[in-house]
Amino acid sequence: MSKENIVVGLEVGTSKVCAVVGETRRDGTIRILGVGQAPSRGVRKGEIVDFETASKCVREALGDAEEKSDVMIGSVYLAITGGHIECFNNRGAVNLPEDRDEICEEDFEDVQSSSREVSIPAPNMFIHSLLQHYYVDGQDGVLNPVGMLGRKLEADFHIIHGVATRIKNSVRCVKEVGPEVLDIVFAPLATAQVVLDQNQKTLGALVVDMGGGTTDFVVYVDGAVKQSGSLPIGGDHITNDISLGLRIPMAKAEKIKVEEGSVIMGKALPGETVKLKDENGFAGKEIEREMLNTIIHCRVRETFELLKKKLDADSFLHFLGAGMMLTGGCSQLRGIQQLAEEVFGMPVHVTHAQTVSGLTSAFENPQFSTAIGLIKYAEATQPIRPRGIFRRLADRLSFFGLW
Amino acid sequence: MIDLQRHLSMSAPLPDVRVRIIGLGGAGSNALDRLMLDGVTGAELIAMNTDVQALTSSVAANKVQLGAVCTRGLGAGGDPEMGYAAAEESMEEIRAAVEGAQLVILCVGMGGGTGSGAARLVGLVARQQGALVVSFATMPFAFEGRRRMAQAEEALAALQSVSDVVVCFDNDRMSDAVSPRAGIHEAFSTADRLISESVRAVLAFTAQKGIVKMGFDDLSTALRGAGRGASRCLFGFGEGEGDNRAHEALARALKSPLMDKGRMLEDAQSVLINVSGGPGMTLNEVQILMEEFGRYVSDTTQILFGTSVDPQLGGRMCVTIISAVPAGDRPLEEAARPAPRQEPAPVAAAEPRPAGEVLPDREEAPAVATPARKMALPEPDLLPAGNGAPQPAAAKAPLPRKSPREAKQAQMQFEPATRGRFEKSEPTIVDGQDLDVPTFLRRNVKKQ
Repeated sequence: MSKENIVVGLEVGTSKVCAVVGETRRDGTIRILGVGQAPSRGVRKGEIVDFETASKCVREALGDAEEKSDVMIGSVYLAITGGHIECFNNRGAVNLPEDRDEICEEDFEDVQSSSREVSIPAPNMFIHSLLQHYYVDGQDGVLNPVGMLGRKLEADFHIIHGVATRIKNSVRCVKEVGPEVLDIVFAPLATAQVVLDQNQKTLGALVVDMGGGTTDFVVYVDGAVKQSGSLPIGGDHITNDISLGLRIPMAKAEKIKVEEGSVIMGKALPGETVKLKDENGFAGKEIEREMLNTIIHCRVRETFELLKKKLDADSFLHFLGAGMMLTGGCSQLRGIQQLAEEVFGMPVHVTHAQTVSGLTSAFENPQFSTAIGLIKYAEATQPIRPRGIFRRLADRLSFFGLW
Repeated sequence: MIDLQRHLSMSAPLPDVRVRIIGLGGAGSNALDRLMLDGVTGAELIAMNTDVQALTSSVAANKVQLGAVCTRGLGAGGDPEMGYAAAEESMEEIRAAVEGAQLVILCVGMGGGTGSGAARLVGLVARQQGALVVSFATMPFAFEGRRRMAQAEEALAALQSVSDVVVCFDNDRMSDAVSPRAGIHEAFSTADRLISESVRAVLAFTAQKGIVKMGFDDLSTALRGAGRGASRCLFGFGEGEGDNRAHEALARALKSPLMDKGRMLEDAQSVLINVSGGPGMTLNEVQILMEEFGRYVSDTTQILFGTSVDPQLGGRMCVTIISAVPAGDRPLEEAARPAPRQEPAPVAAAEPRPAGEVLPDREEAPAVATPARKMALPEPDLLPAGNGAPQPAAAKAPLPRKSPREAKQAQMQFEPATRGRFEKSEPTIVDGQDLDVPTFLRRNVKKQ
C-alpha cells in the first residue's frame, strides 16, 4: 500500500505516550494497523517538564508502533494539550466593494483575517481557527456562500490559542526522535472526530476526555465547535490524592485506583477493606474502601464542577441534544457516569472511538481515543500528498476556509 | 520627563480649582520630594515638619515649621502626642497654608510622631476651610514593631474621620514589589514612587477633560469602605505601547504591587478604571481592555469607567485602576462558612484523630470558605447519614493509630509537601486554590 494512506497519530500524554498507526481509505473509513505505547515520564499535566525523558518515551512508543504495525513511521500528527490553551469565539466581517455583488474566494480570506484582529496574550500563538457559520447580509446558517449575492460577509470563528513556546517544545521533542510533525491538533478536537458522528455534532454534544494529566473538552452546537479547552487536572491528581491520603506509594495508589477504586461514596460496607499485598520494600496495608472512594469522589467531583463552571460561563450546556460523551483513561472509573450525570444534569455516555475498524482492542480502549482521532482528523483534512508542517497548516486552513 | 509633559497639560486646572499638596512629617516630605522630581503642576507643594533639618533639605517651595517652641526644631521623636502639640501650636501657620484651597492632598506616614499626631489637625483645618481632603497614608513595616503599628492604626482612624478619601499603602505590600536583593533605598523609593503616581493620578481626575469624565464623586465611590475599619487600597497604573498596548497596559497595571495581581478586585464593591491614550486609540482597544478587565471583577462590582484622549501620550495607552477592598478575607463568605461546616465537625469530634485534620484547615483558612459552601450541596445523599455507622468501625480499623500528638507531627511535616507528585511543576491556581493539593484536604473532608 502506498505510503500516503498511512497516517500516524501521536499523543504525548501524562500517563502514557501512544502512537496509533492507521490506514485511511478512499471511502473515508479508517483501519487501525497497530498501536505502540510506552509509559510516559517527564510529562505533567499534559505539558513536557523533562525534555530528555519525554523524548525517550516517545522513541519507545514509536518503536513499539513500528514493530506492531510493520510500518516505518516518517511523519506523525501530534496532539497537544495543557491548561494554557484557551479559546474564544470571534466574528470577522467584510463589506464587499461597491462594484461587486457576488461573494468569492478572496472575501473568505478577508473575513478570516478580519476575525484575527483580536488581541491574544503576547506569549500565545494561534492554534486553530475553526469556522462555525457564515452570515450573508445578516442571514445566518449559511454553509457555503460562494456564488451567493450579498453586500456583507461575516463569519464566526472559534479561535484556540496557547503559549507558543510550550507548543513548540512538544513539536521539538518529537522532531528530536525522528519523525516529521505534519500538524498539531488540539487534543479534544481530535477525540471528538471519532467519538461523535455528524448527527451528534448537529444535535449538540459535549466531549470530555479525562486523561492522565488533563481533562480536555469540546462543545459542538449545530455542527460547529462553540467552546473548547483544557483543565490541568487528571488521573494523576486522583492517584496523587490517594497516595497522599492513604500514605502509600504512587505505584500502589495507581494500581488500587484502577483495580478497586470507585467514584461512588457511601456504597461500601462499613469496615470493608482492600488489602495491599506485602512486597519488596512495602509492608502490606489494609485500606478502607470507603476512604478510598471518598478521596476519589472528591477529586472527580471537583473536576466536574470546575468544568461545569467553565461551560456555564458561556451557557452552551442548554443546547446539547446528544448529551455528554466521556472518554479517556479516567472514564473507566466505576460509577463515573453516575457522578457526571449528577453534576451536569444531562445524559452521559462513556465511549471510545466509534467510527473505525481494525484492531478491536485498540479502538475500544478509551485511552486511545485521542490518538485515533488524530488519524480521522488527518483524513478529513488531508491533501493528496503530505508536506512539511507549515505548508500543511496553510493547506488545512485553506481547505476549511480558515486562516 | 515625559511624565512631566503629560501632567503639564493634564493637570492644568480649571481656573478656580486650587490644589495644595501637603507633605507632613518625614515620610510625607520624602513623598513630596518625589513628586517634585516626577513633576507636577497646577498644585502648590507645601512641606510641614517639626524637624528643621529635614524641612530645610526639602525641595518644596513652601515650608511650614510646626511646633517651633515645643519641639525646638528637633522633631517629634516618634511621639504622636508631641506631633499633635506641635501642630496645635502652629495652627495659624497651617491655616494660612491651606487658605483658599479647594482640594488638599495630604501625604503622610503613619506610625511616627509628626505625621501621626499632626495629620488629623491638618485635615481638620483643611475641612474647616471647605476644602476636599484626600489623604495618602503609609503604614509602617511589620518589623517596626507592634507599638508603632498600633500608633499608626490609631492615627489612621483619626485621619479617616477628617478626610473625604483615604488611600492607604502598607509598606509591607510594597516590599513585594521590589526584588529581595534590591537595596533598601530602592525599596523606600518604590514606596515614594507609588505615592507620587497615585497623587498624580488623583490630580488628573480633577483637571481631566475626558470623553467620559471622572470626578471626585467617582473617586469617593470607588474608595468607599476605605474609611471604615481596616481596608486595603488597590492602586494600579500601567502603560503600554505598540501592537498589544491595551493588553500590556492592563497587565502592567495589574502587576502594580498594590494590586495583588488583580485577585482582590473580585471583592471590591466598586472599581474606578481610567483609560487614556493618544489620538490613535481605538474604541476596539478600549473594548478589549475593558473585556479583559471584566474578568477580574465579579458581576456585582460597580465599574466606574472613564476615558480620555491626550495628544501628549502619542502612541501610548495608560490605565489607572483605583479601588478598595475590606481587609479581613471575604466577609460575605465568612458568614456562610460556619453553617455548612457543622456537618463534618460533629463527625470529627468522635474521631480518634482530630488534631491531624485541623491543620490543613488553618493553613488554607480563607480559601476554604468557598469550598465549604460547596460542601453544602453533596450533604444529603453523598455525604451519607451513614457517617455515624463507620465510626465504630473506624475505631476497629487496623490502620496504625498513633497518639494525637504524633499524628499531628506527621501532619506537620506533611504540610509543605502536600503537592506530592506535582512538587516541581507549576501550581494550578483557580479561585485562589492550588488544585494540585488533594481535594479532600482542601475541603477538610473528614476521613472515617
